[in-house]
Amino acid sequence: MKETHFHANGQAPEILLSRQKKILDALLQGKNDLDEIARTISTKREDLMRDIEELKARGLIKIQREEREITVLTEEAKRYLETGLPEERLARLLQKTGTIKRGEILEASKSLGIPFLQDEVQPAIMHLARAKAITFINDALQLSSPEKAEQHVSKVRKMLESIEKGETRSVDIDYLKKRKLVETRKQTKIYLSPTAKLLSLNEMGLIREAEVITELTSEIIESGKWKNAVFKEFDLSVEIPAHPFGKKHPYLEFLDWIREILVSMGFEEMKGPHVELELWNFDALFQAQDHPAREIHDTYFVKGGLLGSVADSELLKRIASVHENGWNTGSRGWCYKWDPRRALRLILRTQTTAVSARTLYSRGEGKYMCFSLDRVFRPENLDAKHSMEFYQLEGIIVGPQVTFRNLLGFFQEMARRLGLGEVKVKPAYFPFTEPSVEGFIKHPSLGWIEVFPGGMFRPEMLSALGLRNVNVAAWGIGIDRIAMTVLGIDDIRLLFAQDLEYIKGSKRPIPQSLITYPGTKTTALSDRNI
Amino acid sequence: MPVIEVKIWDLERLVGQKLERSMLEQILPSLKCEVEEITDDTVSYEATHDRPDLYSAELLSLYIRGLLGIETGLPRVKVVEKAEKAEINGPDYRPYALFAVVRNVNLDDEAIRQLMQLQEKVHLTFGRNRRKISVGLYDLRGIEFPVKYTVADPDLKMKPLGFGFEMCLKEVLKSHPKGIEYGHLVSQYDKYPIILDADGKVVSFPPITNSEDYRVTEETRDVLIDVTSTDLESARRTITLFAYAVSMRGGEIQQLQLSGKINEVSPRLEPDMMRYPVELNRKLLGLDIGLEETMRLLAKMRMDASPINSNELEIRYPYFRTDILHPVDISEEVAMAYGYNNIEPESMPPLHPGREHPLEVFTRAVRESMIGLGLIEVNNYMFTNPGLMYDKMNVPRQPIIEVENPRHEAYTALRTWIIPQLLNILSSSKHAGYPQRIFETGDVVLPDDKSENRAREERHLAFAIAGKGTTLTNGLSAVKSLFNMFGVPVKFEKYKHPSFIEGRTAQIVTPEGPAGLIGEVHPQVISNFNLNVPIVAAELNIEVIHKCYLSQQKKEH
Repeated sequence: MKETHFHANGQAPEILLSRQKKILDALLQGKNDLDEIARTISTKREDLMRDIEELKARGLIKIQREEREITVLTEEAKRYLETGLPEERLARLLQKTGTIKRGEILEASKSLGIPFLQDEVQPAIMHLARAKAITFINDALQLSSPEKAEQHVSKVRKMLESIEKGETRSVDIDYLKKRKLVETRKQTKIYLSPTAKLLSLNEMGLIREAEVITELTSEIIESGKWKNAVFKEFDLSVEIPAHPFGKKHPYLEFLDWIREILVSMGFEEMKGPHVELELWNFDALFQAQDHPAREIHDTYFVKGGLLGSVADSELLKRIASVHENGWNTGSRGWCYKWDPRRALRLILRTQTTAVSARTLYSRGEGKYMCFSLDRVFRPENLDAKHSMEFYQLEGIIVGPQVTFRNLLGFFQEMARRLGLGEVKVKPAYFPFTEPSVEGFIKHPSLGWIEVFPGGMFRPEMLSALGLRNVNVAAWGIGIDRIAMTVLGIDDIRLLFAQDLEYIKGSKRPIPQSLITYPGTKTTALSDRNI
Repeated sequence: MPVIEVKIWDLERLVGQKLERSMLEQILPSLKCEVEEITDDTVSYEATHDRPDLYSAELLSLYIRGLLGIETGLPRVKVVEKAEKAEINGPDYRPYALFAVVRNVNLDDEAIRQLMQLQEKVHLTFGRNRRKISVGLYDLRGIEFPVKYTVADPDLKMKPLGFGFEMCLKEVLKSHPKGIEYGHLVSQYDKYPIILDADGKVVSFPPITNSEDYRVTEETRDVLIDVTSTDLESARRTITLFAYAVSMRGGEIQQLQLSGKINEVSPRLEPDMMRYPVELNRKLLGLDIGLEETMRLLAKMRMDASPINSNELEIRYPYFRTDILHPVDISEEVAMAYGYNNIEPESMPPLHPGREHPLEVFTRAVRESMIGLGLIEVNNYMFTNPGLMYDKMNVPRQPIIEVENPRHEAYTALRTWIIPQLLNILSSSKHAGYPQRIFETGDVVLPDDKSENRAREERHLAFAIAGKGTTLTNGLSAVKSLFNMFGVPVKFEKYKHPSFIEGRTAQIVTPEGPAGLIGEVHPQVISNFNLNVPIVAAELNIEVIHKCYLSQQKKEH
């Protein structure tokens, strides 16, 4: 380590802030009155107080305080120095008016624009009379000697100006006091004197001014310059520029949290194609081929009229049977001729229930629970409330013991984890569930809103897919609506915002249930160990 | 779902009891009807597709009486003993017609309005816009039995509803509002369906319009109802539904003996039947409701039940209940009578550990890496249009999945790549300050005849960096850092693509083959998006990176 800051004889130099160095310079030039030092370095005495205390603490100066009385101008005197003494103004007035009656002086002062107060008139006359500058004719007066007036005024003015500068020599203090132009006050004078240490350091040239660093550089760090330097203080009130950053899209982040919640409840994620056969989207769900939802108003059809394919012809037979006569499920079926070609038509999936159907078909009976969080499509005009493309959160709970009560239990748990509060349920209708249910939550401004549709998959659907001895509780949540509540937006298009400003400015939507310590309402540190 | 309007005073008259607003707000939802609005004298509610019997005040009152305990079990109607006759010989394309008569009814203006509402909503939903089912109601005065459902030539004359003069059927299709609306159901055939009375007078031209001569008015005492259909079973249930509904206005139902294509008595008034294993209550609903209690609950829902054995009930329900297909439908009735909000939810413990889809997990890792590189994530629709995908990108059109029935010209096809949508976002964010660095991960869809759905999906990552001084280097270094984070080697090879500047475009090559492309966007393309800053953009197949990462890990172990 280089130790260049040490002097040859082992004595360290004193590195001082610029202003402290200036104070010492003035002191060493013989100025020891702090008022004078302040004037020398063009600053106010009050601003130097911290510096001199520091210099004293470093053993460079001694400070001596002296209480004493000083004579200062009164407020009245200060005003007279600006506007003129009363007798000065009266003399000016008399020069313009010539002879004038006492009673007309105030009136004349107004018309001539010379400020005069009622109770200034009498003293002004008195002072000019004493100076022998005016003469009286009955109740009128005139300025008989402008010179004498001038002499008197300039004498008083000079005295006032001297007091203002802090000088009292050749001033008739008593006179001024009588006229209430001065008063005495107590003042602490501060005198500095150099210590022996200062004098010796000064002799050796070891009083130095510190370098000010605005930006730290490798050179400053490595050279050790920083040890003898001061860092320029930052102004924290200045507007701070934005830091460039990357971030998740608020809606997609919300969906990530939803995935986390579902996984924590034991659900496995399933996936299926966006371009789907009507078979998986409708027929496998026991939705009759003439069901209104299957018409062009409610379903996007793939252009070109190409048909998809299904390898399992047995599946097609089973689906045909449940539609036509209920097959062996104990159902009447829909009583119509099922058209396999219709089932092979290609559409954009309208519900992720298609994904559930594919999952049930491939996994069969057993005990499992799955979810899908993905996009579906419906012919809607895009506006603040509707979208032709949106996310659905779909799920199934499969098992021989699964009941409708488990479905309601799931709604309750989901609402709790999303912080949605109480759930109310009412009967509903979906072609592929029985019983069917709709769960409502209480929205702060919209009232009860429908967020949890679901039901128990119909046996016709399950049997066709190859499941006989299990129940399936199923639900399909329009997650966009919940997202809008959580994100605090009322335009569904913002979930696919085209404006970067919006995405940058949006806050992160972390579900409260995930960041609140269990069993508490606060987040005390001691809860961390729970 | 159809929205139904009912006058509260009319409903009170039918129920026989004052109905408080709070009572309606409670009862209607328990019948699957969602209350939309209650004003001083009207309640409007949304009914479901499966319950056409709730599309008017008449049968709604029946269920309210059941739930209030005023009258439970199967609804009873008065029947005139002697049957009239009808001959059914309709066209093959609409072969079925069923008839019913209700005598001595009291119809006021509101009653007629309710029946019209029922007719209109049934047409729209259950009737599939009259294609499957259409219903007509007539004042019986002047109609002679037997009535006939038969075929007629297009030049047969009738006086259609609302018209004061006769015109031929062909003209009805051309100039009558209902003819214009529903003409497509018959106009392609030589002969049209027609309902005539014994004297050959035209009663109706189903499924288009009725004859003005037999319009139902407040003076009508006896009502003739017809249902024509392509589906006999649906027609049977519908004629019963209307006969019951009209008879709620104080009449007696008279049946007809049908002959011709159908030989049966119409309408069917005997209840439908189903066996119900009571253990379904426990197995499906999770509720321990026994035999007796099930009978009591179903009675409230206007069904009769009698035990077959200790475990099974025979359920009898009105024939107009089109929604009962399977015993699970009875379970729902039990649950509804029990009250959904009285069912205690039961938490399901996890059946196995939860798990995200591997593709989503890996995608999230990629997204987090991109965020680590300082890029902002954006989110676009998969819906787009070929103009954006190809024309604006200087690329010749390529196969793309399009829809037959788009609603908006901007959304007609599914995206095949994401970069064009990123440029759209840059284009609408010019005010947001530069440099701009954005990325998106998501699915793209490519036509693929080998797939069962004739489409193949790929999970892509696309990013774009825009702003003064941006060059290919900015993009290359981002890709390199991304691959470094996954420990996957990457090379860049010369590539040509019309969306990018030649000599400043590269293919991104991995040990598992090409993973995508990167380049400085062509100035023409930049101008196409009304932009004026240099942009470097890249698009990669995440599944390739995923594969590389997996095989890399295998090598390491």
